[in-house]
Amino acid sequence: MPLEHETEVFRHDLKSPFLTEKEREAVLQPYLPKSRSEQKRTKAIQRKKPVRRFLASTIHFLLFTLIHILYSIYARTRKYYHAVTRRISAILYYHHRTPELIRKDVKGLKRLPKHLSVILELSKQENEMSAMETLLDNVAEISAWCACVGIPMLSVYEKTGMLKNYIPTTHKTVAAKLHSYFGLKRPSLQVRAPHIPSFLNGDISEDGSIVDAQTSNLGHLSLLLLSADDGRNTLVDLTKTLAEMAQHNKLLPEDISSQLIDAEISESVMGEPELLILFAPEIKLDGYPPWQIRLTEIFHEPDNTEVEYLVWLKGLYRFARAEMRFGR
Amino acid sequence: MSSSHLTRFHKWLLQSPPIEWFDLRLRDLMIGALSQGPIPQHIAMVMDGNRRYARQKRIEVAEGHNRGFEALAQMLEVCYRCGVKVLTVYAFSVENFKRSRYEVDTLMSLMKSKLTQLSEHGELFERYGASVRVLGQRELVAPDVLEAIDRAVDLTKNNTDAILNICFPYASRNEITIAIRDTVNDWSQPIRERERTFSQSHIESHIRLRNISNDASKKQDQYSPAPSAISDTEDSIAESTLPVTPADYTELTTLKPSLTYPDPESIDANTLSEHMFITSNPPVDLFIRTSGVERFSDFLLWQAHEKTDIKFVDCMWPDFDLWQLIPILVEWQWKRRKAAADERVARRGMRLPKKSD
Repeated sequence: MPLEHETEVFRHDLKSPFLTEKEREAVLQPYLPKSRSEQKRTKAIQRKKPVRRFLASTIHFLLFTLIHILYSIYARTRKYYHAVTRRISAILYYHHRTPELIRKDVKGLKRLPKHLSVILELSKQENEMSAMETLLDNVAEISAWCACVGIPMLSVYEKTGMLKNYIPTTHKTVAAKLHSYFGLKRPSLQVRAPHIPSFLNGDISEDGSIVDAQTSNLGHLSLLLLSADDGRNTLVDLTKTLAEMAQHNKLLPEDISSQLIDAEISESVMGEPELLILFAPEIKLDGYPPWQIRLTEIFHEPDNTEVEYLVWLKGLYRFARAEMRFGR
Repeated sequence: MSSSHLTRFHKWLLQSPPIEWFDLRLRDLMIGALSQGPIPQHIAMVMDGNRRYARQKRIEVAEGHNRGFEALAQMLEVCYRCGVKVLTVYAFSVENFKRSRYEVDTLMSLMKSKLTQLSEHGELFERYGASVRVLGQRELVAPDVLEAIDRAVDLTKNNTDAILNICFPYASRNEITIAIRDTVNDWSQPIRERERTFSQSHIESHIRLRNISNDASKKQDQYSPAPSAISDTEDSIAESTLPVTPADYTELTTLKPSLTYPDPESIDANTLSEHMFITSNPPVDLFIRTSGVERFSDFLLWQAHEKTDIKFVDCMWPDFDLWQLIPILVEWQWKRRKAAADERVARRGMRLPKKSD
C-alpha cells in the first residue's frame, strides 16, 4: 500500500502527467508482490529459514484465534443487548391488536409500500405440524398489520412452499386473525399463489352474502404465497416455453427482450415488491425470486430471529426514510 | 480554527514515518491472520457513494470517482493477498447513462485512462497473476473505450490466479434476458446428425432381413421340421430378399423427417447460469454494497439470490478500505465456522441414536 505522500504524487500526476512509465513503476515497486522468479527464490530462502516461517504462521494463527474470540464475545454481547432492548421496546410499542394504535404508529410516514414482501422460514426445531401452525400464525399477524395500515399487497416467501398446499386454511386463519383485530367487520381478503389455476378468491367464492356483510369497505388485502419454485424455476420454465416457440418458428430469439420477460413474469408471479422485510439475523435471500428484487429495499434487524411487530414497523420507517423515536 | 489545526496535526502524525511503517506492518499482520481462516472465494462489490463522498468532502464529482478507483485498487490488493479468487465490481450501470453527459464522459475517460495505464504496466499485473474481464453490454460503449478494454483484457487473459470482473455497463435484468435469448437460440438450432460409419438404414434392412428369415423359417418349420433343411432355406431367402433392399432405401429417403431440435425440457437452471456474463463458479460468497443503500440495484440478481451473504455497509466507497473489510470478513468467517460446527454436531446427533439402536 503506497504511503500518503506518494498517493499525493500519484493524484497530482493524474491531472498533469509528469512521471514516465518507468518512474511510475519505480514508485510502486516496493509495494508489489514479487515476480514469479523472485517468488521462487524467496520460497527457497524460506525453506532455509523454517524458524522464521514457523514463527510468522504461529503469530498469524494466534492473532486469528484472538480476533475470533473477541468477535465471539462481541457478537454474543450484542445479541443479548439487542434481545433486551427489543423486549423493552416490544412492551412500549405493543399494538394490543388495535388497528387505531397501529395506524397511529405509521401516521407520520410520508409513504408506505404498495407491495410489501416478507421472507419467513419454516422452523426446523419443531415438528411439522406445530411449525406449520407457527408459520400460519405469523402470516396471519403480518397480514393483519398490513391490513391495518392499508398496504394492499403482501407476498410471503417461504422456501418449501408448504403454505401453497393449504390455501383455504390460510384464508380461514388470516380471516380469523383479521376479525380479532377489526371486530365483526374486517377488510376483504384474497389469498392466492402463482401457477395455481383455481386460486381461492377469498370472500367472494366462500359463501357470498354473509362474508360480504362482514367485509364492508374497510379495504382489501391480497396475500400472495411464494416458494422457491417461483424464482429460478419460473425463469427456466419461461425459457423452455420460448425455446419451444422458437423451434416451431412462432418467435425469433431476437424478439426476446426484458420487457417481454418482465411482462410474463409479473403476470404469472408478481410485480416488483417495494419493500422486503426479513425476520432473520442476516440477509440471505434463499432463492427469493431474482427477477423481481431488482429495486426492492431490503430490511432486516440484526440478531433478530422472530416475527415481531417492531421489526415490521422499523422496516416501514426505514422505507419512508424517517427516524424512529421512542414512545408514542 | 482549532479544529483545522487539529486535523493538520492529525494528518502530520499519521504521515510520520514510524506511524506509517507501523500501519503497514499492522495491515500485513491482519491480512496474514485473516488468511488463516476460511476466505470467501468470490466477492461482489457495489462501489456506491463516490458522488456523495465528493459532496461531503466538497470536492469535484470527477475527483470523487477518482478516489473511488483508488479505493478499488487498494481493495484489489487486499482481496488478492487474502486469497480471494474472484472479485466482481459494479463499475457502471446501464442506468448511469441517464446521468449528466459531463459525468458519463468523465467516467468513460477515467475507465479508459485506467485501462490504458493497466496495459502500460501489464507486466506488473502479471505479478499478481490476475486477469481482468470487462462484462456488460459492449454495444453501449464508445469505440475508443472499447479498444482500451480489449487491449487490457487481452493482455491479462493468461493469468489464472485471480480474476477481476468489472461490470461495465451492466444490468442484471439485461444479463438474464441475454442468457435466456442465447439459450433459446442454442435450442432453436436443429441438431445436425453426425456422420457415423454405421448407417441406420443399413442396420434396419439387416433387421428386416433377419425378421423375414425368421418368419420364413417358421413357415418352413410347418412344412418340414427337419433341421437339415434350414441351411437350404437360408440361402434361398437371402437371394429372395435382395431385390427388397433398394425399395427400403428409397422409402427411407422420402420419409426423411422434419428437422429435429434438442428437447426444451433439458434446459435447467444450470444452463441459464452458464449463459450469464458472470458465471457462478466459484459461487458468490459475499455481496457488499457501500453507502448504506439497501438495494440490489440490478446487480447480480441471478448469482446472489441464493446462498450469498449480503452486507450493506454505511460508508462511502472511497472510504472503504481494509479496516472496513475486516469486520465483514471476520463476521463471515465466524458464521461459516459456526455453521460448520453446527453441522458437525447435527451429524453426531444423527449418528448417536443409530448407535443406541
